[in-house]
Amino acid sequence: MSEFIPVGPITDFADPSSTLVEVDDESVALIHAAGSFYALDDVCTHDGGPLSDGPLHEDENPPAIACPRHGAKFALTTGAALTMPATQPTRVHEVKVEDGQVLVKLTV
Amino acid sequence: MTTAISNTTKFDAAGFEALLAERAGEPAWLTERRKVSWQAFEAANWPSSKDEEWMRTDIRLFKLDAFKPTAGVPVAIAGEQPLLSHGVDLGGRVESVNGAATLSELDGEIIAKGVVFGSLSEAVTQHGDRLQKAFDREVVSPTYDRFAMLNDACWTGGVVLYVPKGVRIEKPLHAVSRLSGAGATDMTKTIVVLEEGAEATLLMESASTDAESAGLHNGTIEIVVGRGAKLRYVNLQNWNNRTWHFAHQKAVVGKEAQLQWTIGALGARLAKVNQRVALAGADAEAQVNGVMFTQGKQHLCYNTHQHHEAPYCRSDLLYKNALQDSSRTVWRGMIQVDEAGQRTDAYQRNDNLMLAATARADSIPGLEIEADDVRCTHGSTSGRVDDTMIYYAMSRGYTRQEAVRMIVTGFFQQVFDRITIDSVREALGEAIGQRVQDLPNQ
Repeated sequence: MSEFIPVGPITDFADPSSTLVEVDDESVALIHAAGSFYALDDVCTHDGGPLSDGPLHEDENPPAIACPRHGAKFALTTGAALTMPATQPTRVHEVKVEDGQVLVKLTV
Repeated sequence: MTTAISNTTKFDAAGFEALLAERAGEPAWLTERRKVSWQAFEAANWPSSKDEEWMRTDIRLFKLDAFKPTAGVPVAIAGEQPLLSHGVDLGGRVESVNGAATLSELDGEIIAKGVVFGSLSEAVTQHGDRLQKAFDREVVSPTYDRFAMLNDACWTGGVVLYVPKGVRIEKPLHAVSRLSGAGATDMTKTIVVLEEGAEATLLMESASTDAESAGLHNGTIEIVVGRGAKLRYVNLQNWNNRTWHFAHQKAVVGKEAQLQWTIGALGARLAKVNQRVALAGADAEAQVNGVMFTQGKQHLCYNTHQHHEAPYCRSDLLYKNALQDSSRTVWRGMIQVDEAGQRTDAYQRNDNLMLAATARADSIPGLEIEADDVRCTHGSTSGRVDDTMIYYAMSRGYTRQEAVRMIVTGFFQQVFDRITIDSVREALGEAIGQRVQDLPNQ
């Protein structure tokens, strides 16, 4: 059963930004955009690219992040693959802010 | 039970100076070599996913500061019985804990033949000038990448095997490296030299003393098989699943020489291994066997390279991988034939058995051929357990789980059949059999 794990103070994550954080030995892309936090597996389901290194598209509907390798976009809220070449969603995780700390709970 | 780890040192300038001070008995050429490699290490960057070789292996979570250089006096730790030496009449054995030698034994009659087998750390202080030639040969380039630089600067412990011309060692030799405690490091070098017409069998394995402590292995293996010599070499990587494993391994096989190299890869959180074989003399032969079984979130990446530099050489590589859970394997194989490598006969194959839909296997075979009279073939397969085979076994009275276990065991049999050392075949079979026993219903 996974729990919320602190990944750092809110001040460490500018808005907008995407940051690689380690949660229980897993790579998670923590995204701060338009006042909200999102957490996704830091893995593009097409070719394993590091999503946290890719460009943010926070003004789009839905807000998304793109893989730096081939440009596949994933929805920040659901992890759904929005564009080719990715066809499978990436996992999203719960995020909350408490006492100035950002916490992530892995989806099992 | 204590370990040889200092609590304060790190892999930084002060830690490196402390390591040099502790190894003041080493020959001057080696100290100088360490300094050059350390400077190169400090100036270099870690590999990243932008590098072709690393684009499928993500090491951004690897933090060197979490690990400590080996220091102090080694203390033997009672680990589990090694797998490969069980029931074997050994000619010699070497044990190390956290990169520090704790045991070195060799039969008197083998010593009398001029064979050297033991800790490389001890050997360089006793026979430093004789070993300089082996270091200078740079079978593994110390500047290949930042891991190679770090190893060349900070290595400790290690194993050396030297077999003089025409000497044949009947009994296998065995070495085991253990990691003990959180932040422990095994930064070792292995140097094996068989002179012309020599024969030997070397079994090496690794193990962690507990399942939870995060460890680091960053090692190199350099093998030279002289003209007409025969080496059977086995390397079983069996760290716990919290260990980072980085390795550069290369064998140079001389004229009419034979090498049988078997790799078992069962442990490690993440492994990135470069395994290279150079067929440097005419009529040389190399057989490479690989067995991997991954589970949980393990990521094992093996880059293999069969380099045919001379004519009439044969190389035959077979890697068999079974993957569970959300584990991942990456195999990148290359057969390279130089223009001089006419009449080459080379083969490489990688088979992957997917035991879960969430596992992933990347197989990337490749050929680079400059000669015009060769036979080079390669193959790769990936698939799930065949439902028809399960159905057939169940129609014969087996349960589904028994059928799956039997099919997985059979999958590995092809590579077991190639291994000519009974104890190795049994040890690998037992280690994999244990994991197969734990397989859930498919």
